[in-house]
Amino acid sequence: MADKRTYSSPPRRVALFVTCMVDMIYPEVGMATVELLERHGVEVLFPLEQTCCGQPAFNAGFWDEARPLARRFVDIFEPLLRSKQIDAVVAPSGSCTAMTSHFYRQLLAEEPGYPERAALLAAATFELTEFLVDVLGVEAVDAQFTGRLTYHGCCHLLRELGIDRQPRTLLQQVNGAEWVALNGEEECCGFGGLFAVKNSGISTAMGNRKVQNLVRSDADVVALCDVSCMTHINGLLSRQGERCRAVHIAQVLANQVDVRPRTLPEPPSQPLEKPRRWQDTT
Amino acid sequence: MSNDREEILARLRAILRRPDLPFPPAAPAPLTAAERMVVTEAAGTPYQLALRFGQELEKLYGSYEIMGSAAEVRLALLHRLDSWAAEEEAARRGPKTEMQGQERMVLGWAPDRLPVEGLAEALSDIGWQLLAPPRLTSPEALANVRWIRFGVTGVSAALAATGSMLMIAGPGQSRSASLLPFRHIALIPFSRLYPTLEAWLAERRAAGDLELLLRSRAGWNLITGPSKSADIEMNLTLGVHGPRHVHAILFDDL
Amino acid sequence: MSTSAIDLSLPYKKRVDDALHNKQLKVALDRATGRMAGQRVAAMGAVDAPRLRAQVRQMKEHVLRTWPELLEQLETQVTANGGHVHWAKEAADLQRIVVEIARKANVQKVVKAKSMATEEVHLNQALQRAGLKVVETDLGEYIIQLAGEPPSHIVAPVIHRRVEDIAAIFQRELDMPPTLDPQVICGVARGVLRKEFLSAEMGISGCNFAIAETGTCCIVTNEGNGRMTSTLPRVYVVVMGLEKLVPTVEDAFLQYQALCRSSTGQQCSVYLSMTSGPRKPGDVDGPEEFHLVLLDNGRLDMLAKGYGEALCCIRCGACLNVCPVYREIGGHAYGSTYSGPIGAVISPNIHMEVTDVDKLPYASSLCGACRDACPVQIDLPRMLLELRRDVVEAEGTTLFDRAAMQGFSKMMQSRSSYENAGKLGSLASNVLARLSGGNLTFLPGPLSPWTESRDLPPLARHSFREQWQQRRAARKQIV
Repeated sequence: MADKRTYSSPPRRVALFVTCMVDMIYPEVGMATVELLERHGVEVLFPLEQTCCGQPAFNAGFWDEARPLARRFVDIFEPLLRSKQIDAVVAPSGSCTAMTSHFYRQLLAEEPGYPERAALLAAATFELTEFLVDVLGVEAVDAQFTGRLTYHGCCHLLRELGIDRQPRTLLQQVNGAEWVALNGEEECCGFGGLFAVKNSGISTAMGNRKVQNLVRSDADVVALCDVSCMTHINGLLSRQGERCRAVHIAQVLANQVDVRPRTLPEPPSQPLEKPRRWQDTT
Repeated sequence: MSNDREEILARLRAILRRPDLPFPPAAPAPLTAAERMVVTEAAGTPYQLALRFGQELEKLYGSYEIMGSAAEVRLALLHRLDSWAAEEEAARRGPKTEMQGQERMVLGWAPDRLPVEGLAEALSDIGWQLLAPPRLTSPEALANVRWIRFGVTGVSAALAATGSMLMIAGPGQSRSASLLPFRHIALIPFSRLYPTLEAWLAERRAAGDLELLLRSRAGWNLITGPSKSADIEMNLTLGVHGPRHVHAILFDDL
Repeated sequence: MSTSAIDLSLPYKKRVDDALHNKQLKVALDRATGRMAGQRVAAMGAVDAPRLRAQVRQMKEHVLRTWPELLEQLETQVTANGGHVHWAKEAADLQRIVVEIARKANVQKVVKAKSMATEEVHLNQALQRAGLKVVETDLGEYIIQLAGEPPSHIVAPVIHRRVEDIAAIFQRELDMPPTLDPQVICGVARGVLRKEFLSAEMGISGCNFAIAETGTCCIVTNEGNGRMTSTLPRVYVVVMGLEKLVPTVEDAFLQYQALCRSSTGQQCSVYLSMTSGPRKPGDVDGPEEFHLVLLDNGRLDMLAKGYGEALCCIRCGACLNVCPVYREIGGHAYGSTYSGPIGAVISPNIHMEVTDVDKLPYASSLCGACRDACPVQIDLPRMLLELRRDVVEAEGTTLFDRAAMQGFSKMMQSRSSYENAGKLGSLASNVLARLSGGNLTFLPGPLSPWTESRDLPPLARHSFREQWQQRRAARKQIV
């Protein structure tokens, strides 16, 4: 949100900060991100040294444990930027982008040399939809989706980065989607990192509100920009046997999501078996 | 005890001198009169302001009427008092034991502090009594007005944008008249109408008597509508402690 | 009674569990918080809210920077107006001062208008120990005083009770005939409390803000109990948190409007009562004795520890109404006078006994809704993060958590250990997932709370980095 770099000519090469959750649990989201970037003429580099940005430790108050990871992140990405091997860093996550471009300022404030480097990096680090819309000026996406679609604004994306218009702009370009309204679309899903485990009861109650609203919206798919919230929402939906699924926006935009048309028989109200992988069932 | 004062102030100064203190900023600018915003705007002729005032008050379950002259106000008030009294009598459920002869009394500002002349006489002509005790501080004095249902006051200023009335207490201008009775009737000449609170403040500030006014008059109250509460499940209830009804009679005195 | 209030001294986990399992509480919170949040959005939306918030913020920053000077100015002016100013460092000091004022003035009965500062220092209990009768007169406060409970919301103290519960309390305590009509319940309270107002010798209220240039203490109320308290008794005592200052009359009205719009969604509250000392010669009514008691009780510590931004708080309660955590558990689960996000920041700093106070900064998903709602733009999530850091630095977490975090950090500091952990995790989770039919439905040990209510997908068989490298290798072959 603050002091983002502007580009006189469109950036050609970016480094992908894929985030550890996408890397390990949702590689298809990473692949969709790469496909979207390449489709718009951007060359993607993937620094293999990257691991985790340190957010779980930072949010839990373990700043001494988070700091080496923050320094490490800066050490991996900032030299690429400084040596002009890349023009920007792009991540398919609002939360991890907020961590590296916003909270590092706080975390690395007293690490000699790092605040300046972190600031340079922060100015050129973008969340995926922000990069597509604000930097590349993408207006039309060649995406197709048959079904009822809605959107959940993840908290860090919305309130730390101020990104809301961009994902909505992109989703409105999806062909064939029927847009449905979601009550409380800006309310937290209750994930909150370790909060979901340490305050599981509260987290679940918050998530159940989200699930109720989703069920009432009658959406097939709720698109969002963070796989962490996606994991939480889907975890509840799956446990409760609901057919609606949360899907990362990159998958929708890269045509990875297919919904059975409504004309087919409804699935049994009680699922016969637990879905194997969420993406397969949506 | 004065030791505590010195310790608190000294420690506060020491903390604020720390260069590494993250908050507050080193030298935040005070908010100047020029930049301070008017939160709720209003504008117009006196009649339009009176109308706006009344409409705002009505939204808050108050009521109002606009009169052409002070003479009309007298008539309207007499008429209102009789009809309200009859209304309440008809609605009365319990026995009529507790009023202690205060049924036809009105607790008011002193007649010379009210913006309409001859009110006390007019009231007594139809069997009402305007009571304006010079002191209401003893339990005995309060007992004498305990059951009075009607309070009549003027205002120091009325603010159209929010339907608010500024009441500044002073000799002859009791705080109780707008507080204790079940119904508060405020008589508002157009000359006391201001578009906004900010406009009134600016006028006083320009006249140079705002500070003096606040310090020479110990009790100010800004009143916006009848007493209410939402403490029970956010349900609106009226007349919790203060008046259940607020009725404004605005009139042209210009 | 149909519901029991949560015992504030219970451990945090128990308080939260009790709250989550309390169906009536859920109903009461749902009915009230949603409505209050909606009213705030409408009222702030009707004006230039960004400008209003920025201006109140600017004013409060200036207040805190010139804090000692403004306090001295306030003291000078209150004294010039004929009032008395007292300074209390701790809760016990404040209790002693107020009891002393009451004793000297021969007071038997005290009527109180709602005040969080007096709740914070347990003033009522101290006055009762000194043999005084204390009556809370705000309708909500009166209800919970009858029920023997603490308030659960800064603005709406009895938000945790349904109308059914309140009617039951009145029937039991005041012999009210059965009814669920709030207007009738309210009428009963009016009658009972009017007698108290007319016979009390002392009134005590809090202070929403005090104007330094004129020595004027302001209270914002809707019911009129604040006016009664500051008008009828012989002695009027204002208890004020040290930070609740505004420089000028105009600043007071600016903050007043931001407060009304943010707390209850009103343009103006019904009453704004401004008292500049005791009644003047010739006045018809008003108190003959006026005391202002300034309370520190940890406020300076808050500033010194770097949490001064929270001293900008004007106690509107907007952050509670939008907080998705508060909405689920209500105020009592926080175990403190101050609940919700602002309570989680104030409670560890103020000198109060709060059981498991270290858990409060963690009672947030850091969603940031509170910061967006705050009329003074207080960055509550940032402060919650810093408080968590303080807890860890003070070794307030379990050894297990510390070891786990250190292990996590170590693992993430090297590519090879990260990749190996990923491979191992993929293998293990996929075996487990196959056993439970696709997703993980049971996790061991510290992660088990997740799978109590949620499924979890296993790690991918082939991570993104593996797929990326394969793709790159394939491309190279083609080229």
